[in-house]
Amino acid sequence: MSLKLDPRTKLFMIFVVSAVVMMSATTPFLWAVRIAMTMAPITLLILEKHYASAFRFLILYIIALLLTFRFLSEQSKGFLMAFLVGYCSIIVQFMPAMITAWYVVRTTKIGEFVSAMQKMHVPDGITISLAVVMRFFPTIKEEYASIRDAMKMRGIMLGGGNAVRMIEYRMIPLLFSCVNIGDELSAAAITRGLGGKVKRTSVETLKMGPADYLLVALFIAAFGVFVVFKYLK
Amino acid sequence: MMQTAVEIKNVTYRYKGAGAESLDNISLTVNAGEALLLCGASGSGKTSVIRLINGLIPHYYHGDMTGNVTVKGRDIANTELYELAGIVGTVFQNPRSQFFSVDTDGEIAFGPENIGLDPKEIRARTEMTAKQMHLEKLLGRSLFELSGGEKQRIACASVAALLPEIILLDEPSSNLDWETIGQLREIIGEWKRQGKTIIISEHRLWYLKGLMDRVVYMDGGKIICEWPGAEFENLSEDETKAMKLRPTVVKKEYTQMFEDKTGSGAFIQTETSDGILLKDFYFSYHHRPYVIRKKPFSSADGEALNLCIPKFLLPKGKIIGVVGRNGTGKSTFLRCLCGLEKDCTGVIVSDGKEYRKKHRIGISYMVMQDVNHQLFTDSVEAEVMLSMKEKDEEKCHAILDDLGLLAYKDTHPMALSGGQKQRVAIASAVAAGAKLLLFDEPTSGLDYAHMVTVGELLKQLANSGSTVLVSTHDPELIELSCDYILRIKGGKVDSFWKTEKTAKFI
Repeated sequence: MSLKLDPRTKLFMIFVVSAVVMMSATTPFLWAVRIAMTMAPITLLILEKHYASAFRFLILYIIALLLTFRFLSEQSKGFLMAFLVGYCSIIVQFMPAMITAWYVVRTTKIGEFVSAMQKMHVPDGITISLAVVMRFFPTIKEEYASIRDAMKMRGIMLGGGNAVRMIEYRMIPLLFSCVNIGDELSAAAITRGLGGKVKRTSVETLKMGPADYLLVALFIAAFGVFVVFKYLK
Repeated sequence: MMQTAVEIKNVTYRYKGAGAESLDNISLTVNAGEALLLCGASGSGKTSVIRLINGLIPHYYHGDMTGNVTVKGRDIANTELYELAGIVGTVFQNPRSQFFSVDTDGEIAFGPENIGLDPKEIRARTEMTAKQMHLEKLLGRSLFELSGGEKQRIACASVAALLPEIILLDEPSSNLDWETIGQLREIIGEWKRQGKTIIISEHRLWYLKGLMDRVVYMDGGKIICEWPGAEFENLSEDETKAMKLRPTVVKKEYTQMFEDKTGSGAFIQTETSDGILLKDFYFSYHHRPYVIRKKPFSSADGEALNLCIPKFLLPKGKIIGVVGRNGTGKSTFLRCLCGLEKDCTGVIVSDGKEYRKKHRIGISYMVMQDVNHQLFTDSVEAEVMLSMKEKDEEKCHAILDDLGLLAYKDTHPMALSGGQKQRVAIASAVAAGAKLLLFDEPTSGLDYAHMVTVGELLKQLANSGSTVLVSTHDPELIELSCDYILRIKGGKVDSFWKTEKTAKFI
């Protein structure tokens, strides 16, 4: 079974989850709400057949949760403990937002995304820039792989033990090739009519389905609960 | 009377910040339905002419321009680029930087969406274009999974979906292999049958045989002369060489060699035992499931192997051309040879010493197709020094001098020309003491003069004792420099022979 959500629902999810991530849970009830919200993108990843990443996120999250609740407390001392506390709280705090973002990026086609932004009347300038960013992720990955190969051949993976060099050797060729690709890409896009005054159409037809409304409602409810219990009571 | 599609009148153009004019008083008229080839060396102004017609000059690339350009009755200087989108379509050189979407369908629909067509119409056009170009199998795929050739076909389709009357192609075959160049030829032929006006700027000339109505030769930003298509094809090799153009025909023996038809199994033993011995090169991208320890690959893995070379002797100090279709193991072979694939079992034996696994990295070095990836520092000198275990300025200067780079030793590598960058990469390989130099398609997208330079360079490297392996789709380069041909097929050494015997083996 595959569940196709409207990109607008997905964007809304990112928004709500990021907002909730910024509010720390203080009572067991709020923790329960947060954990439930984290399970939503994980379930969606499973429904979209991204089993491996769903599994990885789940394990990481559960371990961090268990450690936080069972073994760590404010009295924890020592270097290792301090390290673990920091590590776990970062994961427990920010993982939900990361998973949601990952889910959205992996399952949204650029066409869908552009179409959704247009329906929300976001200016084209912003939409196109964001679309280019999405388009660029895989390119950066490809370029980076070639650069790593080149570094391996030169035996400079560790930059001669110098951390600044290590970053410099990776970043300089990467920036140069991304700038070049970006320049060629925009020339190609312009010759194909991007940026015209005509209203852009889209082959992707978007429609909010029952699942969309259900998820939006659930996330609004969760958000409401958080605000009420944390700030109003 | 014939209709005029493009009219360029007395155009002189200089890119912003450039020292000299790129176009010098050019005038050119192209009739509707005509197929025109622009040829000439790099920097002769071919690409600038293409940019004049699609409006990127003066709208995207700013500079000083005089004269005027009219396309289908529109004055380009006063026409917005998006208005031209449905009239002029451009296929660019680099397949990986001209697509905007991440999926093939979205890419073909991108242009029509931009000009605001009805979604129903767009779907109909996508379907029609895919059918005309036999792309059905590529629909619904991620563009990042496609090969360069497949990407270029999608680029052609996405241009065609806008139904432009004029189609421009700017060195479209630069990144393609023998087989996909054939497919590109078919696409151009189809456009010609549809009566489109086609203007191609290109270095590779052989694949356009019989398609071009007129050929224009440019040099130094000027149009030097022009021929009817058939007449141009009859020019002798000496005449084309004098103009620094690649030959217009490929000798039959090379056609057969690249098409993989004959010559299989031709195998000669290297005469001397003095060479670089490759042993046990087994590799596959798909490892069998393992629990704790990866089992090394061996000949027992049989068909599952992407590379299977039990034993092979590379003659020392020679240039060996590596040929074979794309996806048949050429680049896997090179990657394993220079130690980039750690799991490859191969051993390199040179001068009685055995090099395995990551030690192969020290003895071999690959000059990549996109050489920008392998330049890391801020000066040519530093780049070469980086490769030296013991920094030796004198030796560094000697290497640079040999490669004609000494004058540039303080220049930033990224400020150099493509050919110079390639030489900097070679210099650092020589400095690292690599005995086995690998080149991954060093001449794709180069004009004839630069190709000759690369050929000379390879010879120079071989003469100084390095063994050079060069993978290529260019028959001209093989003829210029290669001593031996090694054909890879299905990850195995299919045949190996001396080039002077090429004709005999086929």
